[in-house]
Amino acid sequence: MPEIIYQFYGGVHPPQAKISSQDAIVSAPLLERYVIPLQMHIGAPARLLVQKGNKVLRGQMLADASAFVSAPIHAPTSGLIKEVTTCLGVLGTQLPAVILESDGEDTPAEPLAPIPNWQDSAPADLLRRIGDAGIVGMGGAAFPTVIKLSPPPEKKIDTLIINGVECEPCLTADHRLMLESPDKIIAGMQICARILGVKRILLGIEKNKSDAVDLMRNKTQDTSIQVCALDVRYPQGAEKQLIYTLTKRKVPTGGLPMDIGCVVQNVASVYAIAEAVIDGTPLYQRITTVTGTPLQSPGNWRFRVGTPYAEAIRLAGGVTEDPVKIISGGPMMGVAVYSLDIPITKNTSGILLMSGAEVSQYQSKSCIRCGRCNDTCPMQLMPGILSVQIENESFDLAESWHVMDCMECGCCSYICPAGRPLVQHMRRAKADVTALHQAAKAAKAAKEAREAKEAAKEAKNSPASAPGKK
Amino acid sequence: MSENEIRMPDTSRLIVSSSPHFHTTDSVSKIMLWVIAALLPVTAVSVWHYGLPALEVIFFCTAGCVAVEVLCARLMRRPIEINDGSALVTGLLLGLNLPPGTPIWICLVGALLAIGLGKMVFGGIGCNPFNPAIVGRVGLLIAFPQTMNTWMTGPDAYTTATPLKMLSDAHLAGQEGATNAMSEMLSQVSYGDWLLLNQHGGSIGEISALALILGGILLIALNIIRWQIPFFYILTVAVFTGLAWLSDSSLYAPPQYHLLSGGLLLGAFFMATDMVTSPVSRTGAIVFAIGCGIITCVIRLWGSYPEGVSFAILIMNALTPLIDRMTAGKPFGAPKKKGLKL
Amino acid sequence: MSSVFSKFSNGLWRENPVLVLMLGMCPTLAVSSSAKNAFGMGVATTFVLAGSNLVISLCRKVIPAQVRIPCYIVIIATFVTIVEQLMQAYAPAELNQMLGIFIPLIVVNCIVLGRAEAFASKNGPFLSLLDGLGMGCGFTLALMALGAVRELIAAGTIFELQIIPNWQGILLLKMPTGAFIVLAFFLAGMNLLKMRKCRKEGRAYEPPEELNCRTCSICKISRQ
Repeated sequence: MPEIIYQFYGGVHPPQAKISSQDAIVSAPLLERYVIPLQMHIGAPARLLVQKGNKVLRGQMLADASAFVSAPIHAPTSGLIKEVTTCLGVLGTQLPAVILESDGEDTPAEPLAPIPNWQDSAPADLLRRIGDAGIVGMGGAAFPTVIKLSPPPEKKIDTLIINGVECEPCLTADHRLMLESPDKIIAGMQICARILGVKRILLGIEKNKSDAVDLMRNKTQDTSIQVCALDVRYPQGAEKQLIYTLTKRKVPTGGLPMDIGCVVQNVASVYAIAEAVIDGTPLYQRITTVTGTPLQSPGNWRFRVGTPYAEAIRLAGGVTEDPVKIISGGPMMGVAVYSLDIPITKNTSGILLMSGAEVSQYQSKSCIRCGRCNDTCPMQLMPGILSVQIENESFDLAESWHVMDCMECGCCSYICPAGRPLVQHMRRAKADVTALHQAAKAAKAAKEAREAKEAAKEAKNSPASAPGKK
Repeated sequence: MSENEIRMPDTSRLIVSSSPHFHTTDSVSKIMLWVIAALLPVTAVSVWHYGLPALEVIFFCTAGCVAVEVLCARLMRRPIEINDGSALVTGLLLGLNLPPGTPIWICLVGALLAIGLGKMVFGGIGCNPFNPAIVGRVGLLIAFPQTMNTWMTGPDAYTTATPLKMLSDAHLAGQEGATNAMSEMLSQVSYGDWLLLNQHGGSIGEISALALILGGILLIALNIIRWQIPFFYILTVAVFTGLAWLSDSSLYAPPQYHLLSGGLLLGAFFMATDMVTSPVSRTGAIVFAIGCGIITCVIRLWGSYPEGVSFAILIMNALTPLIDRMTAGKPFGAPKKKGLKL
Repeated sequence: MSSVFSKFSNGLWRENPVLVLMLGMCPTLAVSSSAKNAFGMGVATTFVLAGSNLVISLCRKVIPAQVRIPCYIVIIATFVTIVEQLMQAYAPAELNQMLGIFIPLIVVNCIVLGRAEAFASKNGPFLSLLDGLGMGCGFTLALMALGAVRELIAAGTIFELQIIPNWQGILLLKMPTGAFIVLAFFLAGMNLLKMRKCRKEGRAYEPPEELNCRTCSICKISRQ
């Protein structure tokens, strides 16, 4: 049955530039030293289980989840814990980290017991395994997968959506993964479906990856999985937009996909789930695209977590010219970094180098109200008007024009002919509005506490008056 | 491969900026250049038809606007932004809105009004609430009614009676006079000629409806203007005047007469669509265009001025922020019926 | 003496009713089409201002606070009636016709009532008279400056004296639109002067509060 595809509002068509789509995934060679940050996920940093000088084996748990929203971290290879320290994160902050010196043996630890007959296992066992394997959303957000897969019982989930869209230009990691390991991905999808108890599984792939669409269609012929070829339009792979395209359901403002009966998983996460369940391998490696015109030989590699960016670039043959920007992630939502010491984490989908010719340095001019941002905003906001309000620091006004709904996809900044940094404006407003709300909340709480204290004091001072009135 | 052969990137000069890192190649100056390109056909036809008087007006308006912008920017100690070409567009549009043969000094006053009063006092490009070219034109119309109502019909031939002026006079003459005047007037016009080359007198830019439509279609095809504005503007005028004509064809001219006469096409394609002064959203654009159409018709049919396009656009310009507020849609996924409060 | 003079000069410049206090905009815009009209209007208003300020100041102790506004209006209306009768008797008919309804409307002119409430009701008769005269003169001068500029550009004359020969004239300035435009330039000039003064004294210039940032870009100008 051909799936009906709906069209989401807005979107842009940036140049695809997927130059590494034909390069098969290569496993990166073992390094001497890995820098493993203890926070590769949204939520609390993991709690360290090892100490300086400990010997660890590949796949051994280095740190355990410390809170509900957290995920364990495993050793990428065997070796010695050289140091417990901090390292530079993608966002420029220092993260707690351990430095692991490889012993060159790559001895595996006692693996988690494989569950080859997962079809018959209880969903709870499978969930526990996914949690223990430290799997997080590998599309970019790095939200612990186990939470996504265990919705509260009152939310009825009827659709599982697998995100193989990879709408970011330049990136090809998910594409290669689908081409090279379709069976694992399909198994992973079915594991997720079993956990959630859903029948309807949709796999969305953009039409520019027609080989992947064909392959997945062939492989899923006798299953309940439907492979949907989607139009090439950024941000097709954004969660809310993908759900709308496939089901015509809209995630309510401030809500989650599970509110409308959907769960979305990235193909890389699904692959990691299959590996964790069937082979018992925890998540300590991932496919990352290293690309960009300045590189000698761009491609897709299977890196162990903790590989510094410098090693990734060395693997890609170094550069032919000095890049002007190095980006962690894709060009639309990725983060520009200034150091190559940053390690690859569970959500590093790509490392992109941009040459001076590609980086457009432009000056922000006055908004000419052309309305293109309005036409392209997938959240149907009015970025142009918002940005003027934000420039004038009218954050309350911006909030009433729904700035908090912005998902920072970058369409407006991409399309703006006046070169206005619209996304930056939105981020500023969102941070400010959040801060304002927190301040108001704190003030209210403080006031209530003070009042309660005063009331208590009064009651203490005149204990006779209250009962006396009786 | 030895370590020495691999060249590692120099990280000392990396740029760190907010995402996205790709950017469209479009820019404000490119948009303005396309608008100028779209105005070239009608400019060429008018210069060919009227000769030097038209060329002079266009040249001095354009040069005047650029000069005034530079002057104002210097006075206000702001960066000079003539490179974006918006002053050129304003100047060209102002020139096309004046009668051929307008004295040079009046053109320069118009440029001063348009850029100085219409744009720079509000803070330059993007900040002006009213279309600068229309501010210039309306200012001149009020300041120099005599000059602004004498039209050339060809080289060395002048008239004060444009088709709309005749229509307005006929309306003022009342029921008896109107019937005669109307039939006489309608017998004079040939719609085919009018479409190609306006022989009845009018602004420079009203010379050829066809050239205007061509330019407008170019802009719509390039997604520079929102098609909703010209489409609904012209449609509203056609429906409104059509209804009036159907109700009493002896008093009101047929809709095609209204569509081709005066500055309607120039206004609908090039003036009302000015991005800075029209609503941002497409729904807003429709409201804006219908408003423009209704006000134009009311002025033309019952007002004392023969032409109402400039005034209509100016009035709707003033309403643009309100229309923006009114038509601000709800975000994707927001609950229904919870829009912005006006 | 200096304080007495400052009471008078207050209205001329520092608290000029038109250019600083922005009071009495209606006659300002309506009758400043020529210097002569402006002068006539200014003199009439000055007379009413000075007279009413004096009388109100004299009566300020007997007027009960609850009904002071009606009392002020009655006093002001008396003076306006005197002015109107005088003008009908002695002023040139042409001027009288031009000023028309705006003379009776002085009754509700914000300047007159404003000074009565803000100054005359709290100060002695001499100071009140001075204040009224100063305010009136300031009003007259501002109006005449407006009128002169408008007349000059519209007809090339000032007080009907040909200044620019063979001036074709820009009708725009004779119309109410012209009053708005010229007044706007005057106010802009005032702000510019204030800005310069602030800069000279090394203070930060703060644009007027009414100019809200959401609709205005004036601080973009002043920041540079």
